[in-house]
Amino acid sequence: MITAIGVDIGSLTTKAVVLDDKKIVSWAVLRSSEKTEFSARTAIEQSLQKIGLDFKIGLNIVATGLGSKTVTFSRSKSLTACLARGSNSLFPQARMAIDMGAESSTVIRINERGRVTDWQSQDKCAAGTGIFLEQMAKLIGVSMSEMDELSFQAKSPPEITNTCAVFAESEVISHIHRVPATSKEDIVAGIYRSILGRIISMCKRAGIQREVMATGGVALNKGIISVLSKELGFEILVPENPQLAAALGAAIIARETAGEKA
Amino acid sequence: MIVAGIDIGSRSAKAVILKDKEIVSSVIRDTGAESIKTGYQAIDTALRAAGLSLSDLKYTIATGYGRVLVPFANENISEITCHARGVNWYFPSVRTILDIGGQDCKAINCDGSGAVTNFVMNDKCAGGTGRFLEMIADVLNVPLSEIGELALTSQTATSFNTVCAVFAKSDAIRYFRQGVKKSDILAGLNDAIAARCLSLLKRVTIEKDFAITGGIAKNSGMVYKLTEKVGMTPLLSPDPQLIGAIGAALFANDRIECNKAVLSPKVNYGYSDGTGVYYISIDANKCDACNACVNVCPEALFAISSENGKDAAVIKPEMRKKISQMCPGSGNCRKNIDKNCQSVCKNNAISHSW
Repeated sequence: MITAIGVDIGSLTTKAVVLDDKKIVSWAVLRSSEKTEFSARTAIEQSLQKIGLDFKIGLNIVATGLGSKTVTFSRSKSLTACLARGSNSLFPQARMAIDMGAESSTVIRINERGRVTDWQSQDKCAAGTGIFLEQMAKLIGVSMSEMDELSFQAKSPPEITNTCAVFAESEVISHIHRVPATSKEDIVAGIYRSILGRIISMCKRAGIQREVMATGGVALNKGIISVLSKELGFEILVPENPQLAAALGAAIIARETAGEKA
Repeated sequence: MIVAGIDIGSRSAKAVILKDKEIVSSVIRDTGAESIKTGYQAIDTALRAAGLSLSDLKYTIATGYGRVLVPFANENISEITCHARGVNWYFPSVRTILDIGGQDCKAINCDGSGAVTNFVMNDKCAGGTGRFLEMIADVLNVPLSEIGELALTSQTATSFNTVCAVFAKSDAIRYFRQGVKKSDILAGLNDAIAARCLSLLKRVTIEKDFAITGGIAKNSGMVYKLTEKVGMTPLLSPDPQLIGAIGAALFANDRIECNKAVLSPKVNYGYSDGTGVYYISIDANKCDACNACVNVCPEALFAISSENGKDAAVIKPEMRKKISQMCPGSGNCRKNIDKNCQSVCKNNAISHSW
């Protein structure tokens, strides 16, 4: 029997996770639409459909993410809290989670009970976020997964000095048209390093604590994770579905707080 | 006395020719990828409009991002200094200047003589720069010159809660799809950029009078929002985009008027014709008349002469009218023979326009 549902409304995708007493029984990820409530509801409906159930009012749902307070059929919890709980249930040994989303990046420190002890977040600027990566992939003319493969073949990545995504774009263009041109592989690795530079500085501000895990859609990128491990000097834990971490945390919070008023 | 100021910005290059402290001609063009060539083309267009040639210029000062890449300039000065000077020429009462350029934004305090007393600059982020507006104009498919007027027609500005150009772009696209009017989107963005500029201004002192320079000052929608936010009506010169180049030209004028002795005669030989711009510049101050260029040039263009006040290399007078046919160009020289006039000159006194 399902006990709780968590839904995480991101700027690019909306994620839903359905729990029974012990484990995840179903989940769904879909592109966010302009209407928050509609996105949340569709994601939940899809995940319920997979196990042959229908959406109905009165389900035990916690929503988190952008505009989660406006969703009428659920309670709302903060993203950092959900992320911490989700991360803790995926990797109980993790003391730090790096969440790399489409339009924001968050770094949290988690205690052994899965509560946030410190966090750093930035959603003001596209530098160091997934949208930056997507834009760069488009610019170089490769898909995100091709870009990921390219990054492993880099020899001497250039340093992308501009932080701003707009200026970095011109910088990458100048690398493409340079004589001799910087290879695609090197450019990609340079872009990865530039994004991670921003994220690592956030980690340092929060205080790096092992073990470190990565969540969010950007963590699906194996190249990013490999560069991140190299820069930090140790292995990073990555769950099977890193983008679900916050939704899972929301579901866990829903299960624990069942019966509470919104 | 004819002097020039040239401002090679990140997005556009500006040149101004001053004759006895009067502007005789000016030019604005895109910087493009080759800023050396752009510099020559800009100054050449301005000179031609005034019926002059490069050798008529007594002194040239370059400013802006590309200022070190202007081979015919005698000197270069930072654009902040030049903006303050240029604004002071038009409006001596101005104490606060906001310069919004193609890829940066600066808030400058200056005193009554046009000297900079304080400044802050943002060139790290595209939010609050001309590049931001360029992107949005592109997304909304409105010519850059019309976005200002269009924004002024807005009734209710859409609010943008981001200053990041990338996020604002996706927000703008979303609003546009939802059927929000272009004018409202533009007004909202102008509001966001103005807020960003205000926070920059607050880091210097906001004192009377206030002036806006740079290309964005031509955008009436932005000027309106800035007036609203800053609470002061900005003074605008006839062409705010030229201010940096005007300031540079004024400094060039000063150099000649006040300090004749240190005048470094950088002499430009050549001309431009339909096929291109052909100038060989020799900086007589750097030249020590070592004869190396005279000996190496396969076409024997050079000679040592004291016609510019001291012994230095010059182009032989009979060659000056046919440089493009005689000189194989430093690039070609490099390919065919291992030495050329530029490579043998140990003081870097010689430069070519091609």
